[in-house]
Amino acid sequence: MAAMDINKEQFQQMASGEKPLLVDYWAPWCGYCRRIGPAYERVAEEYGDRLTAAKINIDEEAQLAEAEQIEVIPTLVLYRDGKAVDSIVNPGSKAAIEQFIQEALSK
Amino acid sequence: MSGPHVYDMVVVGGGPGGYTAALYAARSGLDTVVLEKLSAGGQMALTEEIDNYPGFEEGVDGFTLAEKMQRQAERFGARTEYAQVERVDLSAAPKILETSEGTFYAKTVVLATGANPRELGIADENALVGRGVAYCAACDGMRYRGRTVVVVGGGNSAAADALLLSRIAKQVILVHRRDTLRATKVYHEPLMRAENLEFRWNSTVTELLHGDKLTGVKVKNVQTGEETEVPCDGIFISVGRKPATELVQGQLELDESGYVVADETTKTNLPGVYAVGDVRTKPLRQVVTAVADGATAIHMAEEYLVGNS
Repeated sequence: MAAMDINKEQFQQMASGEKPLLVDYWAPWCGYCRRIGPAYERVAEEYGDRLTAAKINIDEEAQLAEAEQIEVIPTLVLYRDGKAVDSIVNPGSKAAIEQFIQEALSK
Repeated sequence: MSGPHVYDMVVVGGGPGGYTAALYAARSGLDTVVLEKLSAGGQMALTEEIDNYPGFEEGVDGFTLAEKMQRQAERFGARTEYAQVERVDLSAAPKILETSEGTFYAKTVVLATGANPRELGIADENALVGRGVAYCAACDGMRYRGRTVVVVGGGNSAAADALLLSRIAKQVILVHRRDTLRATKVYHEPLMRAENLEFRWNSTVTELLHGDKLTGVKVKNVQTGEETEVPCDGIFISVGRKPATELVQGQLELDESGYVVADETTKTNLPGVYAVGDVRTKPLRQVVTAVADGATAIHMAEEYLVGNS
């Protein structure tokens, strides 16, 4: 399943959902964010049975981004049972995203 | 018994050189895959506007141009794998590429791994990337609106970065180890006119001061040896580029700066291996020269495949 853009309400629901939630915090003006897009979509498909992958536009959800202490983008955060398990800033490859997910899922 | 799948051509790197090679290869009927670790475009993907690529009279952003090149190559049958190449054996037959997505085998390889910003090589530089340390003003400049930033370097990209940042940041301090800029003349006057731009000549940055984020830098005057602390929110490092050739060290001939030695034919010292774009020794590193290399490489590879099949 493709990573979908979610808002604050959806986030609050999904972060404590059955499956872990992976969030890509991004903004349209952020070049590095665009760069991880294609690999992130591929990861969303490949890991679809183990987690839900979503995206949050920090311009549209500024309050949420601040509450989640997102200071630089792109930042990926894995949430389980409503809590942030781990995060990574600006991963440099699809392999780096996968390594982050595997380590975060095993925590 | 059938062995593993052997591609006619594996292209390492999905920048303009890589995808042009893939386009020409696929159009020639070669079974082709591009191995790209993140997304199409390479350095170009982070360029906000490209005004010197012919055919786009209004300019085009690098990411969009990269996606177009990728789709064009894929339209003719080239494939893309989002794979990080970890090890290669370019002398083997077939050639072997071990990646995060498995092992690939190839009759020919186009190396299009490009170049990356050169680092200063001081403590905590890597850890502070995204927390005050940056290498691309066009990408990260907006984060420093109304703040104070240091730019390191004296070439064209440092000059362009300092100018761009002078329009965004409250104050820009340009630190350069010589007493004059290497940048093209067109930059000099606008730089001198920028009121919020300060020059620190004959100086280098020796230390990054920080908590969670960068809070300042230590600047050393190389003539007097005097060190001063300069409070700032960001440092933009613009001290040149280094070719991404770690992968082929010991296999391909490299020059003293690490570029793959290859002339206009793109042929390397190994038969069936071609170097295109910024990774190759060449006088001008631009999108247009990278795409030209991509086309040439396929011309050479076709000759090689005819003689070796």
